[in-house]
Amino acid sequence: TRRETKDGGSKLEKLFSHPLYNIQTPAVGPEEKLLQEEQLSEYVKKKVTRWERHMKLYSEAAVALSNITLIQHKMTLDPKASWLRFHLGINRYALYSRDDPAVPQLLRDMQRMTIANADYTQDEKALKGACDCSQVVKPSGHHLKLALKMTNYAKAMFKPMRQQRHEETPEDFFYFVDFQRHNAEIAAFHLDRILDFRRVPPVAGRLVNITGEVLEVTHTEDLRAVFFTSPANNTCFFAKCLYVCKTEYAVCGTPDLLEGSLSAYLPGLTIAPRISIPNPWIRSYSFTGREEWEVNPFYCDSVKQMYPYNSGNRLLNIIDMSIFDFLTGNMDRHHYEIFTKFGDEGFLLHLDNARGFGRHAQDVMSILAPLTQCCMIKRSTLLRLQLLAQPAFRLSDMMRESLQGDPLWPILTEPHLQAMDRRLHKVLKAVRQCVRRLGEDEVIIKDFVKSTAESG
Amino acid sequence: MILFRKFRVLILMVFLVACTMHIMIDLLPKLEKRAAGTDGGDGGCQCAHHPGAETQGWGKQRAKSAAEAGWPNKHTLRILQDFSNEPNSNLTSHSLEKITAAGDTARRMRPSAGKAQDHKPLLGDSSGVHDHGVSKLTALFGHPLYKIALPALTDGDTLFNVNTDIRLYPKATGNQEWHNEEGNAEEDLSPTGEATAESYPNWLRFHIGINRFELYGRHNPVLDALLRDLVTQRITSVAMKSGGTQLKLIMTFENYGQALFKPMKQTRDQETPPDFFYFSDFERHNAEIAAFHLDRILDFRRVPPVAGRLVNMTREIRDVTRDKKLWRTFFISPANNVCFYGECSYYCSTEHALCGKPDQIEGSLAAFLPDLNLAKRKTWRNPWRRSYHKRKKAEWEVDPDYCDEVKQTPPYDRGTRLLDIMDMTIFDFLMGNMDRHHYETFEKFGNDTFIIHLDNGRGFGKHSHDEMSILVPLSQCCRVKKSTYLRLQLLVKEEYRLSSLMEESLLRDRLSPVLIQPHLQAMDRRLRLVLQVIEGCLDKEGYDNVVEDDLVGDTSTHRSGGQ
Repeated sequence: TRRETKDGGSKLEKLFSHPLYNIQTPAVGPEEKLLQEEQLSEYVKKKVTRWERHMKLYSEAAVALSNITLIQHKMTLDPKASWLRFHLGINRYALYSRDDPAVPQLLRDMQRMTIANADYTQDEKALKGACDCSQVVKPSGHHLKLALKMTNYAKAMFKPMRQQRHEETPEDFFYFVDFQRHNAEIAAFHLDRILDFRRVPPVAGRLVNITGEVLEVTHTEDLRAVFFTSPANNTCFFAKCLYVCKTEYAVCGTPDLLEGSLSAYLPGLTIAPRISIPNPWIRSYSFTGREEWEVNPFYCDSVKQMYPYNSGNRLLNIIDMSIFDFLTGNMDRHHYEIFTKFGDEGFLLHLDNARGFGRHAQDVMSILAPLTQCCMIKRSTLLRLQLLAQPAFRLSDMMRESLQGDPLWPILTEPHLQAMDRRLHKVLKAVRQCVRRLGEDEVIIKDFVKSTAESG
Repeated sequence: MILFRKFRVLILMVFLVACTMHIMIDLLPKLEKRAAGTDGGDGGCQCAHHPGAETQGWGKQRAKSAAEAGWPNKHTLRILQDFSNEPNSNLTSHSLEKITAAGDTARRMRPSAGKAQDHKPLLGDSSGVHDHGVSKLTALFGHPLYKIALPALTDGDTLFNVNTDIRLYPKATGNQEWHNEEGNAEEDLSPTGEATAESYPNWLRFHIGINRFELYGRHNPVLDALLRDLVTQRITSVAMKSGGTQLKLIMTFENYGQALFKPMKQTRDQETPPDFFYFSDFERHNAEIAAFHLDRILDFRRVPPVAGRLVNMTREIRDVTRDKKLWRTFFISPANNVCFYGECSYYCSTEHALCGKPDQIEGSLAAFLPDLNLAKRKTWRNPWRRSYHKRKKAEWEVDPDYCDEVKQTPPYDRGTRLLDIMDMTIFDFLMGNMDRHHYETFEKFGNDTFIIHLDNGRGFGKHSHDEMSILVPLSQCCRVKKSTYLRLQLLVKEEYRLSSLMEESLLRDRLSPVLIQPHLQAMDRRLRLVLQVIEGCLDKEGYDNVVEDDLVGDTSTHRSGGQ
């Protein structure tokens, strides 16, 4: 296996050319796609018109308040833009197909494209400036993240760097007070792709000039108000509520440049509605509380009776997600989202992975509870996990190579990469224990890709 | 129905009248004793109306149980009730004059400085210090510069008149139960002097010792005892301090002494991030401890005694607090440590929870100053206060002649106030404390008194950075006390190097090492910078215009003549 790397051959390419990664999904009919081309282009045109009208009004207002220095970039809508192609590619099986050229192009665009506008995200705006400091669990709108718009109208969610790569979550921190890590967002996208789930929207790292690319392009007065210059002459900004509540200080550039993750926006909710569903294995989000699944080893039996987990692949998808979260160490999966169009059989979106990769020395076995309690796993998932446990396709090597493509490399420290190998073995061990107890037929569920997988 | 409603209104009225009565009773000091008898069960109401905050209520509530648990010294208790005499006392009898004299000697630097006692280091025993032969600290305190006497003290120069003022103490600190407990009223005791100041608890002796010129005497043995008390006395109740920005707890001891507890928030080697403003910095418990030692080494004696202590969060905080708000914030962390975060405006959230290992937490305990009811303090705005704003600048930052303005404004136009500010400036610069927005004095002494250096928790945040703007008052005013200048010159000498003196002094604290080496060395570097600024002033304005000779006053000459 060593020789293979020395040959200069890419291990990752070998992985992706492995038969397991070349199972052809059935041809996608128009009704199995999330969006139709005409529908999307009509929607986007409307958005662009609104944006241009908005900009005209704004620039008139800005002239009146001449003390604001604003950069206005020229915006152009290219119907072949990578983000539009990404949106069009979403189908009932995954967010993107394995060989979709739009995805690497979208990653590059997010890394390089000029940022034309910055704003708060919808969930922050929904709070309407109200900060309840007594809340132990902060609503997601409290966290520091921004919506950035590129000159081709692509939108991305920006999460700034809060922690150094080598820093770990302090041992006394609960999962709900943990930091949001930009590198976890990036790494989660790559891991999801290596596991062939393709349920995380593309995420790229980027050094953002927070003066030129955020402060000077935002039209939101509130956002401009949270910018300041630190005593060390760095440009800083903060999340208003967390700052008001004195739970968090500002994030600062050096002096203007700040690392962050940019994750591609999904199509707007008006054309592609999603619903957010509580995870059956949700945690208590309190200091002392315990949920039923934490005390009842037969919890899965009751979940299996419950709609929508009583039929189809839904429960297996939850188990896929729990494996994914266990590998990253993300304990904060309280909800998951699905596209309403695909109904109960649609895949689960793995959004918001910033709380993974906090502790490399600890494996939180309780994240794996869906697998250990239900004792079932998709055959395709298991085969890939077994493949990634082999030396030739070792997960840590795959991840290392995949992450090298990101401009913020190294995204993960070695201990985190190695922790993934260790955790993968624990997943496989949990499956073996289930098989020993219940037999292979009960545990390993053959999903639709089975027959082709064996032929390959 | 209507009748019933009327009846309800009536009940409400009666209740209101009763409450008003309570308030009136509590507000009338003459009737206070009677009130204490009637509303013994109504602690909550009383708390609310006593000036001086709920903490006294805590002390009071707890006082009872402490007394039940076994008060170690009945005499102290009696004495605290009433500082006049007690007939059945088996103490050796003293006249009232003798009490005063004893108090005075404790307070005052004695001219006969040759005594062995005077050479003894002040804080605890100094074992472990003599490894390399002579203790530098002992040598420092033996230096003539540290033997300059205070002017003679008159009644107006002491904070309390032991005979008259101290009598008020127990009442004012809210310990009426003592009277009830003992069952004898004040008037039953005949006022013939028999109790001695020595039998008071150490915190009270510290309070009695405060005078116009200093918080404590250079060689006051009470200081040792008080520091020991802070570390060893059983904590009987804990309350959160209201008003402060960061979490502080008020701890009451079994001898009714009180101290301000600041928990550890940062490890010794953590530095303030460069992007933090001075007003968002953490308060550090070790800075509080080190500031007290530094202040003593500089011979200012303007910081109340502070000692470090390892506190058991379960037994000594959670189980003895009646503060529901505080109690509610205790939790067990995922690593099985006891944590709490309290309630305050800065850094009181789960993200900043204070966690023990598993339940021990370090903290600084600063002795309380006398209750504000007994010794009012005046709060002054520091003329060189910072803007406390991210973008705005303060006037002194833009006006190079700012000091000329200050010099003409009372109280800086006369007396030693401006020079005291210079002392404080030097003190703050050595620590790197940028957060000196206010300072306090004792109201009784008017404008001719020292300024108290409270709240030093934001010092010692960066060892690799010297914040020159803290020295601006000195460089703008170009004034310094001769005594301070001479001591600063002494402290750069190899045999009296500030860092080694601080290191030695801090060794005696339970939480040693209080400061890491880089911080100690930074003080030497900063001291040289202070002297450079003074030398610059001397070149510019001449010695006589810069250095104020505070050593040749009428009183001090004939006093120091005795040496």
